[in-house]
Amino acid sequence: MGTSLGAFPPSSAAGVKLLNGQYEIMTAVPLPGAGGGLPAFAARHQPSGRADLMAVRASPGAPPRANALARLEGEVIPGLLIPLAHGSGPAPEGGETYYVICPEPPGPSLAALTANSSPWSEAEILQYVLRPAAHVLEALKSRGLTHRAIRPDNIFSAGTKNPVVLGCAWAAPPASLQPAVFEPPYTAMCAPAGRGDGSIADDVYALGVTLLTLALGRTPLAERDAETVILTKLSHGGFEALTADAELPPLLADLLRSMLAEDPAHRPSPGLLLDITTARSRRVTTRPPRRAQRPLALNGASAWDARSLAYQIATHPEQGARMLRNGAVTDWIRRELGANQVASTLEELVRWRAREGGPEDRRADSILVLRAVAVLDPLAPPSWRGISLWPDGVGPALAAAMAKGNEELTELRDFIISHAIALWAAQQGNRVDGGTLRQQAQQMELWLRARDGETGLARLTYALNPLLPCASPLLAGRWVVSPAEVLKALEAAAAQPELRRLAPMDTHLAAFIAVRQELQFYLDVWEAARAGPPERLVLAELNLLVALEARHNLGPLPQLSAWVAERAKAALELWHSRSRRAALEQQLQALATGGRLQPILALLDDPTALQADAEGLQNALARIGEIDAELAQIAAGSTERAALAERIGREFAAGATLAALTATLVAAALG
Amino acid sequence: MPKSARRLDNGHPRSLLWAEGALCGVAAALSPPTALLLAGLLAPGLVSLALDGLPGKPVARAVLLAGVTASIASLRQLWLDGTSLDAALNLLEDPLRLGTAWAAGATGWLISELAPIIARLLLDARSLIRAKELRAERERLQAEWNLPASGQPPPSATP
Repeated sequence: MGTSLGAFPPSSAAGVKLLNGQYEIMTAVPLPGAGGGLPAFAARHQPSGRADLMAVRASPGAPPRANALARLEGEVIPGLLIPLAHGSGPAPEGGETYYVICPEPPGPSLAALTANSSPWSEAEILQYVLRPAAHVLEALKSRGLTHRAIRPDNIFSAGTKNPVVLGCAWAAPPASLQPAVFEPPYTAMCAPAGRGDGSIADDVYALGVTLLTLALGRTPLAERDAETVILTKLSHGGFEALTADAELPPLLADLLRSMLAEDPAHRPSPGLLLDITTARSRRVTTRPPRRAQRPLALNGASAWDARSLAYQIATHPEQGARMLRNGAVTDWIRRELGANQVASTLEELVRWRAREGGPEDRRADSILVLRAVAVLDPLAPPSWRGISLWPDGVGPALAAAMAKGNEELTELRDFIISHAIALWAAQQGNRVDGGTLRQQAQQMELWLRARDGETGLARLTYALNPLLPCASPLLAGRWVVSPAEVLKALEAAAAQPELRRLAPMDTHLAAFIAVRQELQFYLDVWEAARAGPPERLVLAELNLLVALEARHNLGPLPQLSAWVAERAKAALELWHSRSRRAALEQQLQALATGGRLQPILALLDDPTALQADAEGLQNALARIGEIDAELAQIAAGSTERAALAERIGREFAAGATLAALTATLVAAALG
Repeated sequence: MPKSARRLDNGHPRSLLWAEGALCGVAAALSPPTALLLAGLLAPGLVSLALDGLPGKPVARAVLLAGVTASIASLRQLWLDGTSLDAALNLLEDPLRLGTAWAAGATGWLISELAPIIARLLLDARSLIRAKELRAERERLQAEWNLPASGQPPPSATP
């Protein structure tokens, strides 16, 4: 599959947007089948000129695996397409998207190699597939990572006699692109985004199915739909369901029997797979699920064993809850499976349900189903209203639901608020780390708790998905995963008149900034301000943006400052003095072109000046009170004035005549 | 109320009235021509003294004071002419003297009547000017602080 340097179109050096300033993505050169189910394009490392690279494109609702990308940075694992870099780059259709840069696969995928050829021999499988893959898995395990995308079309080889290379598995949530047949049934039954990182045992399972595919020359159960595959695996066991009557070499059969065990604890570790003799001798005897004489019909399907029943209840929760409550399930388990202990536990759960809420209490029903499924099949994942997901898959599941905007988001919100993970863990005993899961459930609920559900969900989703782009409509067309890019994106958005009419802040932006920058206080203030007058909301918006500006010195942002200044005019309403307001408006206009947000905030959010303004208002009100009193006094003082005028007039007359008399007397006396 | 402090309906102390009457009686007894001349010249004042019902008789006081002012020259002439009844009658027969004295009394009355009206006009004018100043200041405050006419702050303006 290698793309030689000569295959690249000449780079238009000027104006090419480089990923992280180093990688040129050749969107005109797609690499079909190289991205492990995702679109991939040829890429080139500009500084070194290395051209055997590819850029695997992520999609907005399925963020790349931040943990794996961080831990594999700078690592070298032979036999694995290690991520070299990741970041936003140009999308083929315009705008921005996110890419993970990996080395290009060395050749076609195993799926392509085996499409028209005979099955692989046992020796070829062991030497060229099992050993190199086990090395890679062991290396990943030692780093606390999983691959979760092992399948023939994501394993590559330079030729039939070459060790394989595991493909890119970093640009989408773990196992989200895996077909049901390559996943253990307990992962396959989950929502694609909710499968979680899982454990290396899940990779061993997928590797086992891949080996079986190569040995058979075809994908087992290929013609079945996902539900049938899951049910077949649950009722017959993974190995039996997948191999059916196929004849396999004894060594490979023994290996696959352990690799395809339902219980992850029973599967060999990658290190053990490197020592094939030991791995073969490590047989784990597991009893197949006890099969009933008569099935229990649920939603038109028949359950013959507890695991299938658990799956049916999980996928049809309303009917399952009804049958649990009316005792049909416990009767069947006691009568057909003879599992009295399980039946008693279920009866206890039903009694709890009766105490917990009325017949229409949907949440109590959901908890009953969650617990009952965990009792019936301890290996099953938590199940909530028809959605199954592993605890470490909650983040990507939320991201997917948020991108789709469907009611699944509401169900997931209830899942978290109800502490379903902790309730499920309580039924698991020692199988899981209950303390950690309880802590995780509490932490998620804390993130979720907000004044309004939308903000809480957005906050939780961004917190659990570090590489999830901000979904704000203001940033449409741009893939913003880091808060430093938010202001630049808003600067670009400010140039669009239709966006300029909106506020430069919304639920997604506020939650994104608060989570990525740990500005929880500002988010709380913003949320509180949303219920208040517009001027307070404008200041809260400005506070969030200024906090971001303070952390990332990006230089002047004239468009954004003008946008903010326009919006900030509403904040002038906080000032009562008209002359002060006019002066502020003039200053605001001057600052609008300055490109800085902090001075705008400092101008408007000045507590001392606001206090002085408030005191001025109080003084004015007091003075108006005095004026009104004096005016009332003047209006009512006519009688008093008349009396005073009478007195003054009379005194004046007396005084004038007396003065005249005195003057006359003096004149007479003088002669 | 003590007997000595009792007053008439017009507020004039009864004892003072008696004293004035006695004084007039004594003056008339000592110099009848002078008393005659004064009675003639101050007749309007004496009439107004009887008619003035206001406390302190301010109108009568002004009329009498003005009349006395105009009678000084006639009194002086009487005393120069020997203070006889004939001289007093001659003086009273002079229409100019009599008219001057009475006109002075009328002037005193006029001043006494007009002065309260003018004072009232001045006081009202002063109040109007003050009210205008206050209204102007109120309007300026309303405009500056964005207050409704009622003077109460708008709901959002409450700090």
